[in-house]
Amino acid sequence: MALPIKYNLRNLIVRKGSTLATAFTIGLTVAVFLLVMALARGIDLTLSSSGEPLNVIVVREGSTAELNSSVTRENFNDLIYLDGVTREGDQPLATGEIITLIYKARKGQSQGSNVTVRGVGPMSFKLHSGFEVVSGRSFQPGLTEAVVSKRIAERFQGLDVGDKFRIQTTDYTVVGLFDSAGKAFESEIWVDVNSLSSTTKRDTFSSVLLRAKDQSALAALSKRITDDPKLHLKALSERTFYEDQQGIASGALKGLAVFISFIMAVGAGFAGMNTMYAAVARRTKEIGTLRVLGFSRRSILVAFLLESVAVALIGAAIGIVLTLPLNFVSTGTSNWVTFSEIAFNFRVTVDLMILALLFGAIIGFVGSLLPSIRAARFRIVEALRA
Amino acid sequence: MRFAKFILKNVLRNKRRTLLTISSLVVSLFLIISLATILTEFERGSQEANPMRLMTRHSVSLGFLLPIADVQRIEAVPGVKAVMPFTWFGGIYKDEKNFFANFAADAKKLREIMPELKMSDAEWQAFVADRQGAVVGRKLVKLYGFTPGQRITLKSPIYNQDVEFIIRGVCTGADEKTLYFHHDYLNELAPEWAKDQAGLFSILANSPDDVPRIAQAVDSMFANTDAPTKTESEREFARSFETMSGGVKQFLYGIMAAITFSLVLVMGNTMAMTVRERTKEVGTLKAIGFKRPTIAGLFLGEAILLATIGAAIGIGGAVLLFHSVDMSIYIPGFFISFVPTTQTLIAAFLLSIVVGIVSVVYSTYRVTALTIAEALRSTE
Repeated sequence: MALPIKYNLRNLIVRKGSTLATAFTIGLTVAVFLLVMALARGIDLTLSSSGEPLNVIVVREGSTAELNSSVTRENFNDLIYLDGVTREGDQPLATGEIITLIYKARKGQSQGSNVTVRGVGPMSFKLHSGFEVVSGRSFQPGLTEAVVSKRIAERFQGLDVGDKFRIQTTDYTVVGLFDSAGKAFESEIWVDVNSLSSTTKRDTFSSVLLRAKDQSALAALSKRITDDPKLHLKALSERTFYEDQQGIASGALKGLAVFISFIMAVGAGFAGMNTMYAAVARRTKEIGTLRVLGFSRRSILVAFLLESVAVALIGAAIGIVLTLPLNFVSTGTSNWVTFSEIAFNFRVTVDLMILALLFGAIIGFVGSLLPSIRAARFRIVEALRA
Repeated sequence: MRFAKFILKNVLRNKRRTLLTISSLVVSLFLIISLATILTEFERGSQEANPMRLMTRHSVSLGFLLPIADVQRIEAVPGVKAVMPFTWFGGIYKDEKNFFANFAADAKKLREIMPELKMSDAEWQAFVADRQGAVVGRKLVKLYGFTPGQRITLKSPIYNQDVEFIIRGVCTGADEKTLYFHHDYLNELAPEWAKDQAGLFSILANSPDDVPRIAQAVDSMFANTDAPTKTESEREFARSFETMSGGVKQFLYGIMAAITFSLVLVMGNTMAMTVRERTKEVGTLKAIGFKRPTIAGLFLGEAILLATIGAAIGIGGAVLLFHSVDMSIYIPGFFISFVPTTQTLIAAFLLSIVVGIVSVVYSTYRVTALTIAEALRSTE
């Protein structure tokens, strides 16, 4: 026969000070775990959403990033008329883009980081969906004007509408700010590809983007381009390209999350054990009475375990509530492949919250196992005499 | 001291509880020390930078290269002792997981410009004589079992090359997870866009006083060329990498604050239980004439004793671990070493004592405020 849940809940309320302290300890552990995981998730989501399912990106063979890649204009003209490339009217849905970096100081600091500048053509806006000017206007082709992602403008000095910044020896004027549906482009500055080409005295593109007609055309196109021995190019789906970049930063964060939260969980587990031992000691007589009333050892064990898991779940819920305000808060770090800034949001997703609850429950369960076994092992006579 | 025995007896009264509380304290302190060490090691690069050295890069970005021909012009700047090209190769050994830094440098000048690299004369000569030769840091030997004479291939996505090197020496000093090789060799293999180009110039000045003047002279010399430069002291250069990581610092401080707060809760909860259980005893002590400050002192002493033991084990354990196992080998990134600083350890100790005191204040205040009758009547 199981003890009624009400019994556990009332007990928690009776010793509410210690219940809250234990819950908060577990809550902080869960909050730290969630915080670091939410950062890693933010990076993952930003990069995995950046590629469009039917886009093929072409870079120089061996390149891991667009920055160190180059595709000649001659190759570009061959690529865009390949079979399987979508057309809009008689224009192929394809674009060549140029990537460069500029060094900007962060707001409120004298030091800063590299920001990616992407030279884009008219078709780029169709190939990268989600681009939206949120203030000012877009740049005019042929002029040295730029649109800056809102997030970058918020984080770096001198990139607001009306400001000028320098790429090599040419000044560009910021004429607008943009959003791009949470994609990696929100870490970038966009300018006209031909202006950037003359500014950087660079004739080749960094990458070429093609829209395939369908999934099978995408596979065929990628294979056709990569296998061509004359081209020395690599083509892959844009989605895979961005997903491959998330490795280092988000992997390191996940490692950090596991390391920190494991140690904190051990600490919280010890604390939970202390509380439960005290609870068991104080209720020894009560346990004896319950046994006399006919409750089995097992129901005593289950009751104490449940009580502790309940505290842990309250704690985990507190932890989740503590981290929720950070959801969608923007932050940034350097991409160690290109040494440029990637801006992203903390993302406290539902599956992370479930993971956090589970994590909390495990701390509660493991921490209370020994005290609960002790409670279940009392002999009736001794317990009553305590 | 009159009360030392009393306090000790009380600490040992509930051995299991004491053990659990101390364990909790120990793991939390260990974690705090580890995180603080990440922070201090992160800044070591700029703190230990050579004050006589400067770094020159393309003024736009590290992603752009500079013409090697600039070296001769920089050498002519007054106060400059030596200059060499220094280029990030980005080579990967077998698998992307095996990430370590590898630079092309002028083999003949490397020893003069980076005197912190220590290697035998024979090894230096062997390295300089072999244009395919490479020098590896001691930790790389530990990680991948490199031995002198061994041929290794690094695959560089930047240069789109698989390049074979012959290890000619093992060096200590600086970041011991770095491989250095001949810039001439890189230049030979480099694709057209990277021919006769270097990523950085490493400049050695005659004296630290010359450094600011050299930086200015170099930058104004190239200001109106296709490749304008940005020259700064090695310390500034290292610091710019540190700030590139953005919010990492605040983030780690936030986590340490959370751990500290949870420690206060753990200790506070334990001490509250301990104090409450002794309500009756407090009544007895008061009845036989002990004053409130003395009784409070007893509880305070107990908390401080617990905190001290916890701190001693936590700090001792961290010191022992980090001095016997060099974590910098296993942690990815540019950690030169991974040893907690004395300041970190002192701070951890003080933190522990403060947490101990804070944890006991409220419950002690409550229980010692009771009258003798109230305390004796307690049912706890």
